[in-house]
Amino acid sequence: MAVAPGVRDASEVAEEISSGRLVTEEMLLNVGPQHPATHGVFRLLATIDGEKLVDAEPVIGYMHRGYEKLVEQRDYRQITNLVSRMDWLSNIQNELPLAMAVESLMEIEVPPRAQYLRVIMCELNRILNHLMFFASFGAELGAITPTFYAFREREDIQMAMEAATGGRMHFGFFRPGGLKEDVPRGFIAQALKGVRQVIDRLPDYENLLLGNEIFKQRTIGVGVLEKEVAYSYGVSGPIARGSGIDFDVRKDEPYLVYDQFDFQVSTAPNGDCFDRFWVLVHEVVESAKIVEQAFEGLPSGPVMGKVPRVVQAPVGEIYVRSENSLGELGMYLISDGDRRPYRLKIRTPSYNNVSALGHVLRDTFVSDMIAILGSFFFVLGDIDR
Amino acid sequence: MPATKVAAQDALGRVQAALGDKAVEPQVNFGQVDIACAPEHLVEVASILRDDPGLSCRFFTFLSAVDRSEFGDEGQGLEVLVHLYSPDHVLHVNIHVPVNPAAPVCPTLTGVFWGASWHERETREMFGIHFSGHPNLTNLYLPEDFEGHPLLKSFKLPSRLIKEWPGAKDPDEAAAGGR
Repeated sequence: MAVAPGVRDASEVAEEISSGRLVTEEMLLNVGPQHPATHGVFRLLATIDGEKLVDAEPVIGYMHRGYEKLVEQRDYRQITNLVSRMDWLSNIQNELPLAMAVESLMEIEVPPRAQYLRVIMCELNRILNHLMFFASFGAELGAITPTFYAFREREDIQMAMEAATGGRMHFGFFRPGGLKEDVPRGFIAQALKGVRQVIDRLPDYENLLLGNEIFKQRTIGVGVLEKEVAYSYGVSGPIARGSGIDFDVRKDEPYLVYDQFDFQVSTAPNGDCFDRFWVLVHEVVESAKIVEQAFEGLPSGPVMGKVPRVVQAPVGEIYVRSENSLGELGMYLISDGDRRPYRLKIRTPSYNNVSALGHVLRDTFVSDMIAILGSFFFVLGDIDR
Repeated sequence: MPATKVAAQDALGRVQAALGDKAVEPQVNFGQVDIACAPEHLVEVASILRDDPGLSCRFFTFLSAVDRSEFGDEGQGLEVLVHLYSPDHVLHVNIHVPVNPAAPVCPTLTGVFWGASWHERETREMFGIHFSGHPNLTNLYLPEDFEGHPLLKSFKLPSRLIKEWPGAKDPDEAAAGGR
């Protein structure tokens, strides 16, 4: 059969492919900086050879706001509202290590009621965060329905948080020494309603995704993160636990009153997208159980310790960490005795987690890329802080 | 395997036994081990901390730097700060590595911990510390043509030089009669 000039005979090409002689060329593919699977402005510089990802380099910094410099110009009260904006899905948890660091340096004792309420709010925030990723991971893989359910369940908890703090996103509620104020009447009922709904309904939602054959095919065995690699990159949170690492600051070094509650740390052994998501979903129920227990034991009393009018940490340095929704959030605070920190190094979970992304993406397929990106559960504000 | 916490003094003893005189001024600070070490020993110190079975600080927490030039009355130098953590023994080690502020150089840790790569790139652009041996020491956050190293104390925020922070910053400065 005659072919037009410059066009190769199809049978010749087919022969080259089947014999493995076909010469392929690498191509540079830019994913982002705007992509729905990245939860912010994130670019992935992918080198692809056909369907294979030869190399993938995450490019970050599009939202860098220079918090570590800004905090040196502001006093501790002002910083609370800055760090709240780092990870915009775990806002109230971001405020916690800062408050704890200042309290440790100043030797402030936080009243029990404030500690319990902090645990409750952190865990409510974890449920909000995890339900958000539950929704978005499904959506990224083409399942829209979980989004509606997740947002419906989020609403009651969101309203409870709004009633207490006045904000739906940025709460600004933790102060060195305790809380801004006590929670309003009705908060407990509203929050309990929210968590009970989550406990009742989550098993049904789980089956929507974890029991779905298409979901399993797209996630099982995809994007495996090995245990030792996770350690070497400092990967923490649900992603590390999805790689079989039993690592949870709430259990290993209990802060606040976490040692008072009975809860399980979920881990899964395989380190693939499915296991990461499995861990995330199971943590929601554990968080809900912690909230229930904390309400049962909630003591009465003040919510603010004895704090001087001007918060001024004495000379010293301390590293404080807490279990954020996405992993270990640490703050290394150096104070020279001023009302501003001399240096505050903020170690965010998403930063370390995403630095391992290039390693995991290498030698996978383009069709799996979005599943892997989505299963790394990161927030760009937390990386770029 | 559940982690078993090692008491701070015990941890200090283990670090001293493993590192000998490479760990300068070892001490316990808020339950964590604090050591200083010379830049030329950093790679060896980090490897020992990672591989010693009694320590096994396998978890790379962070690497950053501190510019102490305005700390206290006379000020101090520039240092690289590394935090390693042992998930098995619940043990933290902070490594302070003083570097020469005039020409700050520190060997790279990328051969010991893969995660060090991004942290060193960030520290390079923010503090101007060169990490010798790093495979790709380009800017991570800042544009390539950015001048200066923002986290050095000598780098002032331009907007604060022009105009003071608007409004009262401290309770003492607030106008009387308010609250």
